[in-house]
Amino acid sequence: MDDSFQDLEAELKRLRPRTPSAGLLSRLERELAGPDAATDTRPSRERRSTPVGTLRWVVWPAAAALVVLGGIAVVYRSPVDATRSPAPFAQVAASEDPAGASFKPVGATKFLYETLDEGPVMLSDGLPARRVCNRYVDTYTWRNPRTRASVQWIVPRAEVRVVPVEAF
Amino acid sequence: MEDPANHDSWRQWFHQHGPRLLLCACLWTRSQADAADVVQEAFVRFWRHQRQLAGEPQALVITSIRRAAVDLSRREDRRTVREQQAEEMSGNMAPLFETAVEDRERILVVETALRRLPSEQREVLVLKIWGELTFEQIAGQLAISPNTAASRYRYGLAALRKDLTPLCHG
Repeated sequence: MDDSFQDLEAELKRLRPRTPSAGLLSRLERELAGPDAATDTRPSRERRSTPVGTLRWVVWPAAAALVVLGGIAVVYRSPVDATRSPAPFAQVAASEDPAGASFKPVGATKFLYETLDEGPVMLSDGLPARRVCNRYVDTYTWRNPRTRASVQWIVPRAEVRVVPVEAF
Repeated sequence: MEDPANHDSWRQWFHQHGPRLLLCACLWTRSQADAADVVQEAFVRFWRHQRQLAGEPQALVITSIRRAAVDLSRREDRRTVREQQAEEMSGNMAPLFETAVEDRERILVVETALRRLPSEQREVLVLKIWGELTFEQIAGQLAISPNTAASRYRYGLAALRKDLTPLCHG
């Protein structure tokens, strides 16, 4: 760094940022009083005013839980009817297994459960656009043809698109 | 920086780093109250879930503060730009720094000069000097290159010095 700035840098470093207010400290005190207090970390002032926002903190952990459950534990022996999927968008090619004992992909579906219009944005070229977020749950299914056991992998996914306003 | 995972009490860590975090939060929020909100959100999340993670704790919290501030600004359309400008012009913004009696006037002058900087220069300056981030960390925060961060820092210092020259750095 330029030596001529050293005095100025030193002076700036001597400035002490303002101490947080007692109100903030008491709010932190309440939030962190117990090790397992409520998991919502947002300020209490904000939680009260935006109930819709709070829902987001419920949906995503739930979706994450689905992933874990789907990936690890959902192995079952009942026959699976792949055609019952709400909106199949791909049929995954089954691989040949010489032993005939492993799982084969039998289908994949996507389910759109939320669309959020996040409002107008300005593109780098100056054109107005809107930012739209679509949230999906994708489900992939494998089946063992010999034992008829199935495995499902459920993945939450967000797709953000920037759409020029002329398209609306 | 010491390891927050070894601290029994959040108070000790926050007492040391809270003022800097609040100053950084002021960069990306419209008011001191909003800054306090995002610091609360980010710090509680950090202390509960992230303090065991590897890496620089203060950089991690600052990242979280920035995200919380961006989320807040997206949600909060209550205040119009005109209201914000009116507040800025009224000069009623909360001070950013502690003002000791003996050098109060000088601190206010520096703070005023800092507020006059272009926001992208002020952002890098605050993150570097008081946030104690490296240029690489700042670049990561702001999605710019480390060279750009360093350039903005130098431009910011030059502009500050020019602004303050009649008083001190001549």
